[in-house]
Amino acid sequence: MSSTTENNNTKYTTENDQITSKSDEGNSNANKKETKFIVDADSIRRIQPLEYFRHFTDQKIRPNGRVFNRFRKTTLHLGSVTTADGSAVVRIGNTSVVCGIKAEVAEPNVNTPREGYLVPNVELSPMCSPNFKPGPPSELAQVLSETVNKLLKSSSVLSLESLCIEEGKAVWVLYCDVVCINYDGNILDASVYAVVSALSNVRLPKITYADGIVKATPDKTIELSLSRIPFSATFAIFNGEILADPDETEEVILEERITIICDEEGQLCSVLKSGGSSSTRETFSTCLELARNRYSVLSTIFKEASTSANTN
Amino acid sequence: LRIDGRRATEIRRISCKPSVLSQADGSAYIEQGNTKCLAAVYGPREPRQKSAILHNRANISVGVSFAPFATSERKKWGKSDKRLLEIASFVKQTFEPVIQTSSFPRSQIDIFLQILQFDGGTVQICINATTMALVDAGIPMNDYVCACTAGVIQQVPILAYDDKLMSQDNPVDLNLIEESSNSPEVTVAILAESGKVTLLQSESRLSLKKLQAVAQLAKAGCREICDVMDKALRKNVKDLFGKMEA
Repeated sequence: MSSTTENNNTKYTTENDQITSKSDEGNSNANKKETKFIVDADSIRRIQPLEYFRHFTDQKIRPNGRVFNRFRKTTLHLGSVTTADGSAVVRIGNTSVVCGIKAEVAEPNVNTPREGYLVPNVELSPMCSPNFKPGPPSELAQVLSETVNKLLKSSSVLSLESLCIEEGKAVWVLYCDVVCINYDGNILDASVYAVVSALSNVRLPKITYADGIVKATPDKTIELSLSRIPFSATFAIFNGEILADPDETEEVILEERITIICDEEGQLCSVLKSGGSSSTRETFSTCLELARNRYSVLSTIFKEASTSANTN
Repeated sequence: LRIDGRRATEIRRISCKPSVLSQADGSAYIEQGNTKCLAAVYGPREPRQKSAILHNRANISVGVSFAPFATSERKKWGKSDKRLLEIASFVKQTFEPVIQTSSFPRSQIDIFLQILQFDGGTVQICINATTMALVDAGIPMNDYVCACTAGVIQQVPILAYDDKLMSQDNPVDLNLIEESSNSPEVTVAILAESGKVTLLQSESRLSLKKLQAVAQLAKAGCREICDVMDKALRKNVKDLFGKMEA
């Protein structure tokens, strides 16, 4: 359908939803101007991100080409940082984090004389994304640190009493520092995977306590005994659809998220739901199912990484 | 022979890889022996602070940070740690005349350096990583900048190897143990093509006669490092072209 209006020697025609204008001053080709105003996909993505996203989800796919329940390629390397007592490098798609664990000796809390300390910390530096500015830890970094901290405590990954050297006098402190190198969404999954894997990679020296002095052997052979190995799976909810492992572009527009953390027996360690509106029970059941499947994938990768780290 | 089995004029095993981060405009990962450094470059982009805007050229800002597990003793480095600021200022001063900043007035080029594992040679590895990341980001520069450290190992009673180490032997590319042994060391950064020195840094007492020899040695080490970096960068571009044609 096309219509033309004349206005000051300029003709505007609309054809096929494209608005074009022609100016007709004489028949000289040099004076013919054609300007087209086209609303292309990229413009819609910026102006109406949710609309753009909905166009894809209606076709059961996401703009980055992944189907809904697909997690990105995950890799794990243990023991690459030799200055740390245990380390893990995790990559989920483009999101990369390095976790290094350092063990120190400290006095235990008066109220809990047999318990050691597990101190996780997540650092999001301006290097990993243009959205982070230099300065004190951002809200996201602090929330992540606290989430990981609570997770480790509540799911009893490591018995704090196993970190005791001498009751009331000396205990191990394990500082778990997670440094994000590249931020492309789903940092929680990556951080949890990194911390738990790095804990399995920790090697402590044999320690003896005598007369207020703690002595350690130079070689490090003692492993930590982990009672549970929790891994997490994060999902974004959009229009009732469950999208696994949101990347950075998806995280920005999708506020509703569910994180499910389960252990090797499929038992729940933690459930976090934030943002958006209410979710149904079916949604949770589906997420739990997907989280259990994800667990077996992560577990395979973890076992392979452990064996190759032990043989090195 | 030195502690790690190298000869005096041998640099540590170096491996480098550009384009390792997806979010940064340019990035590089370098390992020199046991020191691991990651560099990310953002820019030229909008400056964050109005006060940082220069009317005729780009503003370069450098941030250096050590991971808490990078050193053998865990240390949480504050953002305004003097040592980190000093290293950042060295890197900035080295690159300011080399980057063609007048092509991008009123903008900012951010360079972030993260040391993941530390075994000596911070300034040199930061400079090398920055060069690769800047090339990867496509920011025009006059030349490659490569850096290396050389020193003189005096006889120290603690080291069991001091009989083998002649004071005439000037070792190149010192690792942490050698750096901490209070011996004089000089860090030199040169422009690869012209051989001009953009940074010469030394904090120890060194006789003037030795300085010439030590600096020459460092320059030779720089050239070796430059070759490795150049190969890695060219290979990366070749791979990209290969993918584009496929």
